Amino acid sequence: MSTLHLIIGNKNYSSWSLRPWLAMTMAGLPFRETVIPLYAPDTKAAIAEHSGAGRVPVLHHGKMVIWDSLAILEYLAETFPEKKLWPAGKTARAAARSVANEMHSGFSALRNACPMNIRRPPKPVPLADPVKADIARVETIWRECRKKFGKGGPFLFGKFSIADAMYAPVASRFSTYLLATGDDTRAYVTTILGTSAFKPWQEAAMKESWIIPADEVD
Amino acid sequence: MFELFIGNKCFSSWSLRPWLALKHHGIPFAEKFVRLRQPDTAARLQEVSPSGRVPVLHHDGRRIWDTLAILEYLAELCPEKKVWPEDRVARAMARSVSAEMHSSFADVRNEWAMNLRRPKSHKPLSDSGRKQAARIEQIWRDCRVQHGAGGPFLFGGFTAADAMYAPVVTRFDTYGGELAPDIRSYVDAVLALPAMKEWYAAAAAETYPEPYPDE
Repeated sequence: MSTLHLIIGNKNYSSWSLRPWLAMTMAGLPFRETVIPLYAPDTKAAIAEHSGAGRVPVLHHGKMVIWDSLAILEYLAETFPEKKLWPAGKTARAAARSVANEMHSGFSALRNACPMNIRRPPKPVPLADPVKADIARVETIWRECRKKFGKGGPFLFGKFSIADAMYAPVASRFSTYLLATGDDTRAYVTTILGTSAFKPWQEAAMKESWIIPADEVD
Repeated sequence: MFELFIGNKCFSSWSLRPWLALKHHGIPFAEKFVRLRQPDTAARLQEVSPSGRVPVLHHDGRRIWDTLAILEYLAELCPEKKVWPEDRVARAMARSVSAEMHSSFADVRNEWAMNLRRPKSHKPLSDSGRKQAARIEQIWRDCRVQHGAGGPFLFGGFTAADAMYAPVVTRFDTYGGELAPDIRSYVDAVLALPAMKEWYAAAAAETYPEPYPDE
């Protein structure tokens, strides 16, 4: 089998990059990683070498080039069915795809107001109404998934799945900006941040020296 | 039985995507209409849709929402319909361009809001909108050149990728003015689909004032 090669942005800031990286690491899929610092003078050229879409993350697998976090995750689920990246039950899988896709196209108020910034010391920020609405919807999703499908473990669908990978950067934001309003959602954030895959990502992020001013919210 | 809840056909671009895939593939479904932008819209959506949005698909006691999740659900449930391209390389690219559509192109979507009643005339885009439109054209070209030999669509035959870009196709037709010949022929191929014509006819027959002419 060809090598998997994942090209990603800065670990401190690149929320889209975290998603496939976390899923691949949790699944124990061996892969090679290339980090491209974003918003640097040569970023565009560096990404263009790997990605026609000009964006990270992008996955190379043999002669295949797959981009966009969700497409990469669907590709991995299809290519490595034994890793069970989606929940096995049809109903759970349909729900997991729904919440993963809602994440993929939504929550722009939350994402803009609270950029992922792993090394920022935890501290709240003032939240506008649309941001509060996004937070409430995220918490509802987490609660509903845990209630209906979460019996078999601490993740949204019991065991770790793509849905958790998609929400992992949101869990990181919840931790950084102290956004959780309930004990149950706080516990889920702790679960994600405590995974064996999130830890090394976090450690690598802490060591990065690149600063993206637009993502630094006091 | 499938039940698909959708918004106004004139402007609900997200609704068009799964509707088109269901229609085109001849999958029988009940169409349920929720008129958007009304005082009771939010309350009506809360009853049927976990996200409070259209489209949402009801099937077998399940509620599946978000266009791309609905398309993946159909692909899994009806493998004989070949919702995604059969070839592995083509399918990976189809998923990539569909996901890119799903999370991107906000300026094109806002500046060229889908409005099937609007008379066709060129409307210039902002700088960022122009860049996004150029990226969309590049995607269509790349797909057609690499995988389009078997037909007029992005991957030859009609797939979920065409369903994802169908609302953008209407925007290029409505606002794009004179299009490059290869782009024009792709746009025309999508607009010529019987299911697309049916959607347009229903949109033209809608008597609601929204969307307003200046939108």
